[in-house]
Amino acid sequence: MRGKLNSGKTGWAVGFIVLAFFVIYPFLVNTERSYLVYFLYMTFIYVAMAQGWNLAGGYTGQVSLGQHAFFGVGCYVTAILWRAKAIGYLDPLGMVLSGICAVILAILVGLLLLSKLRGDYFALGTLGLGEILHVIAINGGRVTQGPMGINLPSDAYISMTYYYFIALAIAVLTLIVVLVMTRSSIGLALVAIRENEVAAAANGVAVLKYKVIAFAAGAFVTGLCGSLNAYYTFHIDSAGAFDLDWVMVPILMTILGGSGTFLGPILGAFILSGVYELANMVMPQLHPIFSAAFIVLVTLFLPDGLMKYITGHKEGVLRRLPLFRAIARET
Amino acid sequence: MHWFSSLATFLQVLVNGVFLGCMYGVAAIGLSLVFGCMQIIFIAQGAVMILAAYCIFWMVTFTSLSPFWGFLFIIPVFVGFGFAMYTGLFQRVAKAGKNPSLLLAFGLMVLLEHVMAFVFSSDYRTVKTKFASTALGLGGVTFSVNRIIVAIVACAATALVFLFLKKTILGKAVRAVSEDMGAAALLGMRPEWVSAVTFSIGIALAGVAGVATCVIFPFDPYFGFIFSLKALIAVAFGGLGSVGGALLGGVILGVLESMSAYTIGGGWADAVAYAAFLLVLIFRPEGILGRSSGEKA
Repeated sequence: MRGKLNSGKTGWAVGFIVLAFFVIYPFLVNTERSYLVYFLYMTFIYVAMAQGWNLAGGYTGQVSLGQHAFFGVGCYVTAILWRAKAIGYLDPLGMVLSGICAVILAILVGLLLLSKLRGDYFALGTLGLGEILHVIAINGGRVTQGPMGINLPSDAYISMTYYYFIALAIAVLTLIVVLVMTRSSIGLALVAIRENEVAAAANGVAVLKYKVIAFAAGAFVTGLCGSLNAYYTFHIDSAGAFDLDWVMVPILMTILGGSGTFLGPILGAFILSGVYELANMVMPQLHPIFSAAFIVLVTLFLPDGLMKYITGHKEGVLRRLPLFRAIARET
Repeated sequence: MHWFSSLATFLQVLVNGVFLGCMYGVAAIGLSLVFGCMQIIFIAQGAVMILAAYCIFWMVTFTSLSPFWGFLFIIPVFVGFGFAMYTGLFQRVAKAGKNPSLLLAFGLMVLLEHVMAFVFSSDYRTVKTKFASTALGLGGVTFSVNRIIVAIVACAATALVFLFLKKTILGKAVRAVSEDMGAAALLGMRPEWVSAVTFSIGIALAGVAGVATCVIFPFDPYFGFIFSLKALIAVAFGGLGSVGGALLGGVILGVLESMSAYTIGGGWADAVAYAAFLLVLIFRPEGILGRSSGEKA
């Protein structure tokens, strides 16, 4: 079953070794100049965003195209509060508040949309939500500073190390949330809804409640990522905060790795970030073309995601490698 | 009606909205057709439109023909383009489900945009026609000739697609496959073949929409996405999968935008459109004019 994950000891051991490496690494290099530190920082954010989408999109089957709405809300809440001096630089309270604002939005919209809409209609509705917020941010007058956006005091910057560890913490928090949710009765309910909503409802699963829970949990981590992004870029404008890349890239990562799996989005985030960065370094001019071609190739040749090939739902070359055999046995 | 200074102003805003809506409509028909048959939201529709717009731009630049001659070659070329895209890409991915298809369409959109930006540069381009500044006046309301031609093209395209679906055997097959793919296959139709035809027509309609757009708006490689979104809204207004509804949905959207731009300001027109879109999705998912099927997708 896809919902049951990493029950074995090897999985945990590998996970802790990788995590330990990520914790120790920034102390070994100059974080201000290390390219890998920057790369990992971005990848951690993408891991969190991909998993955030995966909860509703992958496990529950409710494809949201509105993650940029939550990301943008996270950005703007942090930027507005910080500019008003209500919160400080890298303020945990501000970040949590940003996440909570995204959750409130997700619950309001989720109750409205998820009770009425299914499938493509829900996807379109969430896309509309993101675009409405985009327009509001442009027309927000003094609060959002219009299309020029909000400039934040960049002299507050201290060190890349902070960003790195906050991003890592958000990613780990997300993974814990996903793990706890999917291994409890909630996860069973989510998968039941994805597989057959009517049958799930007939068996007493409160369909709407669980859909909203998955949607809101995803929104929370996405809002956190948005908040951190505001602190990182020191400038928030409507085009950047509500960029459709913030919804499409995490979805692509999840599908590349395998939607509805625990390891899939992590794998997808690392691979795709790697490919994007590599393309950017080797051929900066052609980078967007290359990245787009990569999306087409992935959907063409790996529409079910890498995890299916690794864990043995599909026969593939990867399964013959000893490392993947070990992972396959554990998952 | 105290928002409008006079009846003529009101009519002018209405007429502008209808013409704008016709452009959304042409883009929406193709989208609706593809969605009805294959259940794919082809978000790259706008990028394909812009590709057609570039074809027309270069045709006009090199031959100085009227852009409207472009229909003659755009339609067959884009039918072929659509057929190749379906058999090469979508036929394969459609088997894996809807999410990969949506992603593939997104990937194609980004790919097209960036290839166009790389090859044609990201400068704004405009296509001039002979009647660019010609307008007809009627009772204080002006009609730009360009826009009248575009509206005629929109209606003609809708009528042709409508006739195709109702009168030809292939069109009946398209409707049959839209209704029940399994049953259609049992009765001897080949869903893949029918889907290929539908998709080709959808792409050709995007080409037609591109020709219609480029004579009215200046465009750059990234201009198409907003048209994809507007076409989606138009399709939702008319009811997903309905062809006549798509044009009408486009017109409703155009009038809505034009009215709200005039009364509450241009910056908010998009927000009003999206809000109406959400409301329609929530309260009338079968479309404003669609018949209630008793089932919500």
